[in-house]
Amino acid sequence: MENFLKKLLKAPWIVLAVTIIISAMFFMQMKKNSRMETDLDKYMPQDHPAFVYSDQAEEWFGINDGIIVAIENKNGIFNTATLDTLKQLTKRLQKMDEIEKADVTSLYTADNIIGTEEGMDVKAFYKRVPKSEEKLNELKHNVENNEMTFGRLVSFDKTVTVIIAEIRDDVFTQEFYEEILALADSYKTDDIKIHVAGRPIVEGTMALLGPADMKKMVPIVLLVITLVLFLMLRSVKSTLLTMAVVFFSTVWAFGLMAAVDIPIYAVSTMIPVMLIAIGVADGIHLYSHLQLFLRKNPDASKKEATLDMLQHMWKPVVMTSITTAVGFISLLTSQVYPIKYFGIFTAFGVLMAMVFSLVLIPAGIMVFGLPKVKKSKNNETNKETNLAYSFAAKVIKRKSVSIFITAAVIILSIIGMQKIWINSSFLDKFEKDSEIVLTDKFINDHFGGTTTLNLILDSEDKKDVFKNPDVLKLVDQMQDQLENDLEVVGNSFTLTDYTKRMNKVMNADKEEFNAIPDNQYLIAQHLAERDSIAQLLAGLDLTSQSSLAKELTAKLAILDSEPQDSLAQKMIAQYLLLYEMSGDPENLNKVVDYDYAKLNVTFQLKSDNSKAINSAIAIIDSYVEDFEKQGISMNYAGSGYKGLIFTDLILEGQIMSLILSLIIVIVLLSLMFKNYKIGLIGAVPITITALISFGTMGFLDIPLNTTTALLSSIAIGIGIDYAVHFIEQYRNNASKSDDMLLVAQKTMAHSGRAISFNAVVVIAGFMVLLFSVFPPNRELGALVSLNMFTSFVGTVTIMLVLLKVSNIYFKNKNK
Amino acid sequence: MKKLQITSVLIAIFFAIGFSPKVSGQSLTGKQIVEKAYNRDTGDDQTSDLTMTLVNKSGNQRVRKIKQFTKDMGEVEKSIMFFLSPADVKNTSFMSWSYDSDKSDDQWIYLPALKKTKRISSDSKSDYFMGSDFTYDDLGDRKLDDDTHKLLREETIDGKECYVVESVSKDEDYMYTKTITWIIKDNFIGLKKEFYDEDEDLLKILSIKKYEEISGLLIITNSEMKNVQKNHKTSMVLDNVQINTGISVSKFTERMMMRGL
Repeated sequence: MENFLKKLLKAPWIVLAVTIIISAMFFMQMKKNSRMETDLDKYMPQDHPAFVYSDQAEEWFGINDGIIVAIENKNGIFNTATLDTLKQLTKRLQKMDEIEKADVTSLYTADNIIGTEEGMDVKAFYKRVPKSEEKLNELKHNVENNEMTFGRLVSFDKTVTVIIAEIRDDVFTQEFYEEILALADSYKTDDIKIHVAGRPIVEGTMALLGPADMKKMVPIVLLVITLVLFLMLRSVKSTLLTMAVVFFSTVWAFGLMAAVDIPIYAVSTMIPVMLIAIGVADGIHLYSHLQLFLRKNPDASKKEATLDMLQHMWKPVVMTSITTAVGFISLLTSQVYPIKYFGIFTAFGVLMAMVFSLVLIPAGIMVFGLPKVKKSKNNETNKETNLAYSFAAKVIKRKSVSIFITAAVIILSIIGMQKIWINSSFLDKFEKDSEIVLTDKFINDHFGGTTTLNLILDSEDKKDVFKNPDVLKLVDQMQDQLENDLEVVGNSFTLTDYTKRMNKVMNADKEEFNAIPDNQYLIAQHLAERDSIAQLLAGLDLTSQSSLAKELTAKLAILDSEPQDSLAQKMIAQYLLLYEMSGDPENLNKVVDYDYAKLNVTFQLKSDNSKAINSAIAIIDSYVEDFEKQGISMNYAGSGYKGLIFTDLILEGQIMSLILSLIIVIVLLSLMFKNYKIGLIGAVPITITALISFGTMGFLDIPLNTTTALLSSIAIGIGIDYAVHFIEQYRNNASKSDDMLLVAQKTMAHSGRAISFNAVVVIAGFMVLLFSVFPPNRELGALVSLNMFTSFVGTVTIMLVLLKVSNIYFKNKNK
Repeated sequence: MKKLQITSVLIAIFFAIGFSPKVSGQSLTGKQIVEKAYNRDTGDDQTSDLTMTLVNKSGNQRVRKIKQFTKDMGEVEKSIMFFLSPADVKNTSFMSWSYDSDKSDDQWIYLPALKKTKRISSDSKSDYFMGSDFTYDDLGDRKLDDDTHKLLREETIDGKECYVVESVSKDEDYMYTKTITWIIKDNFIGLKKEFYDEDEDLLKILSIKKYEEISGLLIITNSEMKNVQKNHKTSMVLDNVQINTGISVSKFTERMMMRGL
């Protein structure tokens, strides 16, 4: 290895040329093939049972997320102008390519089924926009009296009405979003405001905003890192070459990704973040060593200096890179493909950063010359060295301080971790005062809720179960409980609502019939009718063969032949038939399957936050046994639920891979240093880093989500670098000296210095993200900085203490 | 003078050539073809067993058996139907009176569980018939003058020579912008019909699978309507068809609805 690297030194130009040519090729690939994946369904493991069921249910009932266009008029919506806007917008949405005509619902498309004394009336609420005061009042009256519409399509205060346009997950694009916004804008007037919301908008905006923000922030991050790096290394050449390592490794990672046709997922935008944090480390350690060598040997030639650097540093660079790469490869255990890819390509990038550090930096030095070392270095070296020496001495002398603080921090972190919660919410990722959050809140204030949770009740193909009044009553009771007990559940909707509506309509719109038909009541009615016919018959001359007598006898026979226990069930079946015949049968298909064996209950929630969804699920789950008694199983479906499961999956995978990578790292370190104790000691800083990271999230109420969960990988990836460099240097120094204190001090002056440079550079860089407009990116910046800091502090304090206490590199000598 | 003569000759020739087909009456206009199809004699009354099968996109089926009676009384056509199955809707009956004039249909429903006859009023002629893919209009409620008809071409399908007529709705708000009908030249049976939605995209295709001669009249006994946008279809099969048996007018009353079969 060393010889190979030395040989390469003879042909630095070729190394540079080859690197640039291959990089250019990868760059072309990126240009040609890179594509963003914004469809969140693509992120989910398709074969997970929860997703398989949900996808099936979405197919059965046509469950799609809806874009909500809300039309607001402070003076009320029942006026010609607002109703005309509603009609026009509905029609325009129906004509859009991305939207199926039948999937647009508004007051304009809805049927108004009302009961009258003699029967039933099915009408559109309006076709021609009503102009006269009388017609407007009539429409208002109709809306107020239809519980299928009032509070669902028109707000109770009558100032807002919504259009819901369902779209498939995969049609959302930036252009489509802009088209919708432009459309909405074009109908705004002084009185009429138009708001656009709904999960597709939130998902789409997030998928676009996160990476877009990254794109804007990364160059600034790079600039700051370059600047700070320059302040540390005091050399333009060194700074640029170090940054070149980061740049090329990122290009290669993304180029390879494009070459094998894997799209860029939202998590992939974390790859450059990782590579920046890790890639600069190699360069810093190499240059730091070079500087120290040059200070001691100011007259060395560039070849001598480079050779010395490679000789001393190639091992720790390779060791750190391999351990880091293996840490990322452990992400392959995740069930989530984007995370697997993230692991693989980051590992690839890390290894490439290693290659470039060992090949490109020496070649660069050979071609461009050594970095200038300023004259008055002695003073500074002494100052630095003194600082490092006294720090190391203090750490070793007061080891109990490190141990005590570490213990305290661990306990605190574990307490903090108890408070940590998982959040699959998308809305929580936006600023509290952003347009998208405000619009969502506005609609939630006026309507049932923008987030839907679908409960699928499944009788395993037993037909007509959902015509059974007992079952429907149970469903209705559950709906009521959720709506009443939980603030966050605004509305729910299923077959019960149609049944109740039909019952009311067929009983002259009397409110007491706004219920599931009751068998006891029907039996009583049945018997009453039987009695009255029997009385009539008794009053007739029995011998008479009058047609009336015949008819009554026949009627009585029919009544008597009817089994009384299924009266309500038949009533429900007949209502539903009637609804199918008079309303839009498609509506029923969205709540129940053809055989009445599966039911879809839609709950509308005012928040997509995991706590909210889980609170609803907790109540629903309390009905499991009741439904089981009826032979009905419960499942969930829809994007909100999938998001919840997905987040759980990611975290489960994260925790698995975290433990796995920790074990692998310990084993690797044990092998590299041929001592298992070193493996364990080396793992201490990363363990502390991970604990503090999670603990802080708990205390600061930062929920775990896809981004923050991945940060534990950084903790391992970076923390292990620090530890390996430090231990390797410590071992080297120990082989030359018996003075434990001096060994520690020398290590501190060498590796400790480089590590502190590394930490300062990356922390400075990631602090930039605190100015991001996208909150998850801010959290990322803060947490990466924190992780860098704790890794650094952990390495130079508690790990040093442990190295000394374990006495590993001195034991043999003392004997 | 000479000029005038030539002109009148030209006019005469023009008339002779340009208008001769119409004048001779050998060929029919689109409107005439559709009129003949609409007015095809299907008897004054009909009794039949209708099996209506709804098939959704997953291939699931809903089968309904209905006994139906219809009677054409000139100005008004009355029909009454009784559900035979599924069991839970047995004896549910439905009656409709549809008028030749602009008056909208009168409809009644009797739900045996409710034991009451209720009147249904609906302002929409584009209502779907019993939740099927057929609307009432598709089943023959459409009036000749509601559309502008144009003969597009003549074509042979399924071995039968047909006129292909396009009918464009005069009402812009109507659910179909246009329909295209293949009408058999010999007997004016509409063999196939395509329905185009508001955006002029193909929405549904009606196919006549079978027609039979019953009591000397041609009766369509098996037809299928397929909604190509929703991948959903309805088939209607008629059995035990009886024509002109002289069904009594008193059959079509609320009392009969309640009495059942």
